[in-house]
Amino acid sequence: MSGSIQVALLGHPNVGKSVVFNKLTRVNATSSNYPGTTVEFQEGRLIRNGQELILYDLPGTYGLTGATEDELVATKLLSEKRPDCVLVIADASRLEPGLVLLYQVLELGYRTVLVLNQMDVAKRRFKIDIDRLRANLKVPVVPTVAITGEGLEGLIDIVASMEIPHSDFKVRYDSHIEDMILRLSSHVPQYSISYPIRGALLQLMEGNQHFTAQFTPDLKAMATREMEEFQEQHGEDIQVHINRDRYGEAGRIISEVVGRIPRPLSRKERFSDLTLRSWPGIPILIGVLLGVFLVVVFVGGFLETALVSIYNDLTAGFFDWMEEAIGGQLGEAISQALYLTFLSIIAIVIPYIILFYLILAALEDSGYLPRVVILLDGLMRKIGLSGQSAIPMVVGTGCNVPAILSTRVLGSQRERLILATVIILAVPCSAQTVVILGTVGQYNGIAWVAAIYAILLALIIVAAFLMNRAMKEEPIGLMFEVPELAVPRLDNVLRKTYHRTKDFFVIAFPILLVTSLVLELLMVYGMLDQIVEPLGFITEGLLGLPPITAIALLFGILRKEMALQLLVVLFGTSDFALYMTTQQFFVFALVMATFVPCVSALSVLFKEFGSKNATKITLGSIGISLALGGAANLILSAFM
Amino acid sequence: MVSENVEEYLECIWELSQRSSPVKTNDIAKKMGVTPASVTEMLQRLADMGFVNYERYHGVTLTPEGERIGAKIKRKHRLMERFLVDIIGLDKAESHKEACRLEHTLSDESEKRICQMMNNPKTCPDGDPIPACDQDCRMCISEPSIPLTEVGKGEMAVITHLRCEDTGKMRRVIAMGLVPGRSICVEDKLPMGGPIVLNVEDCKIALAKDYARLVHVLPKGRCNPRKGAEIIS
Repeated sequence: MSGSIQVALLGHPNVGKSVVFNKLTRVNATSSNYPGTTVEFQEGRLIRNGQELILYDLPGTYGLTGATEDELVATKLLSEKRPDCVLVIADASRLEPGLVLLYQVLELGYRTVLVLNQMDVAKRRFKIDIDRLRANLKVPVVPTVAITGEGLEGLIDIVASMEIPHSDFKVRYDSHIEDMILRLSSHVPQYSISYPIRGALLQLMEGNQHFTAQFTPDLKAMATREMEEFQEQHGEDIQVHINRDRYGEAGRIISEVVGRIPRPLSRKERFSDLTLRSWPGIPILIGVLLGVFLVVVFVGGFLETALVSIYNDLTAGFFDWMEEAIGGQLGEAISQALYLTFLSIIAIVIPYIILFYLILAALEDSGYLPRVVILLDGLMRKIGLSGQSAIPMVVGTGCNVPAILSTRVLGSQRERLILATVIILAVPCSAQTVVILGTVGQYNGIAWVAAIYAILLALIIVAAFLMNRAMKEEPIGLMFEVPELAVPRLDNVLRKTYHRTKDFFVIAFPILLVTSLVLELLMVYGMLDQIVEPLGFITEGLLGLPPITAIALLFGILRKEMALQLLVVLFGTSDFALYMTTQQFFVFALVMATFVPCVSALSVLFKEFGSKNATKITLGSIGISLALGGAANLILSAFM
Repeated sequence: MVSENVEEYLECIWELSQRSSPVKTNDIAKKMGVTPASVTEMLQRLADMGFVNYERYHGVTLTPEGERIGAKIKRKHRLMERFLVDIIGLDKAESHKEACRLEHTLSDESEKRICQMMNNPKTCPDGDPIPACDQDCRMCISEPSIPLTEVGKGEMAVITHLRCEDTGKMRRVIAMGLVPGRSICVEDKLPMGGPIVLNVEDCKIALAKDYARLVHVLPKGRCNPRKGAEIIS
């Protein structure tokens, strides 16, 4: 036999498909103790006994009907690539849904291997008679522990040998459905379609668009009539009956091959359960979120200060030398731009972003994230978001960049867009917090700080609510299996953090560099000063701020907290009170907190949502920010 | 307890009375395959027991009690026929014979569950509509069955059927294994209209209310603490 064998890895979310895939191909697919981390499919190759295998890691799917975006990707690949072999990966502790998926794959005539993953966990709770399972299903059944690699060698051998038979296992459906299959199939010659008729007809009855394209319109109309008739007689959709029978059959096999080992709940399981309850789950959740916030603000802040001082010490003289070596104003611009670029990496990427990615990966691996999502769903739903949005928002209080990246956990593009906008607009990152505290906090007092946070909170609610309205589409309710809590695996956490940081770096670094360079060139050639006056209508007219703050606002694009440092330079003193009033501090801080995202955030925004949406979000946030600042200026002027 | 023979008569009278009432002795004799004389004798006994009002030469009508028993037996008969044909796959003639025997021994509870499992079948296998069966089954299915959202925390329930107003949502519900006949425990209902946390076969499933609303269940009392559903807090 020549040519490579195409193998698709199919399974429910969170059964360890990605781990199996990674171990087999050594390609990095992100694995998480979180449903839905593989959105596109991954491809990898390996060679065994001279036979090349091409593996596709499909997104976790509950079925083949393509009900969600993930399922669509999986279903499309199965129907379009027609892999030579499908590995159905099931959680050995929870066989039933795996079997139901397997039935459908078998019905469609694929050569199939059933992989019972996470066998180590299952062994503690169940006795599984593998031979009997194999005899029942008539497919190879391979128990594995993907994390340690156990059983995977044998699995590859089976696949590479291509000695996988077509199983003749069949689920018997209730007689009405069987009659329908019989009646309809008499109208379809087998040569006219490339799937077994029975399987394809079942998919047709389930309303599936895939696997059924080859049926004639006549047949489809006939099937529709039969389905309607069925619903009339039974008062229920035929899909319900089909799946009831599949689950019934799965239950029968399980009762035959699986024995439960009786034992009390372990302490870990008990704790796992408790974190899922309103009490004490919600207090625990508040603690965890507060902890994440504090760690990021304080540990991040501490790291930043330390790293920046080390950076300054190490590079002392280097940039001066560079400036002189290149010479003139150009030298000043280039060296300053490089200095600033590396400074932002040292000051943002390492302390905040890496720290966040570490925490995020640990939370993902521990299985705590789904709990956050479930516990907060009710609250977030009130403003048109789902529980999933809580994570990016908390992340955003540290840095908006990983926050935008982590919106990937959300199901729909629509929700991601709403959330990213809200984060950019109204969730203050640690740099913005520094500006708020360093101006309003320092000179106006805590009540004014509270006022700013109250405005931001209101902005989150209003923005989410309005966008939700504007986008019409119904938010998709959540429904998923909740994994048990587990201790995060260090290697997995580190690997994930590394890959995500690298991803970020690749996007952000060039943009950071170019923007710094442009701004510096404008600055050294005195062009920045020339825009102070034209922008006066905004700074002075609208916001009532000293005109020179225009530069600080502009530099806020590069790094928000630099605005503060720039004010020092521009005013020539660190006592801002000499130049600005209480009212001006408030307006300045409010604008800074809602103004344009920094360049790093902007770059991920472009990458994740495309230039059109990113531009909209950016312009929107500038507009809203200036409007808010202007309004604050007017109102305060009237009262003070 | 009513004897099988009595039940058989009441069932027959009930069926005939659906067409015309009062029912004639001869019609009963023809349908039961016995002599009119023995029918008369039996009717006298049934009247003594308070199941029928019998007037010689005029015919027979069922008392409310007789009506109840007759309808119940007929319903069990037709339900069993449907069950035997649809689920077990017997042929129609055989299923009729079998159902004739089972109708007397089937408990009311089993009848109710079969009715729920089959989701209130409306016709017999031969396609004849069964008004009475329909009516009674509708009652048995819609009375105690409630949307999952209404099941209290810590309570057990069995799924009776799924509402199919939204195919996409229904599919996702099916895909999670929430199909009729499945036992579930409502472990928690999260505040502020949050999702419901279920325990299904030792697996935790969280589902938002808009999904839970589609799942109709029959409450079955408190959850079984050994399944890890109930933990003293």
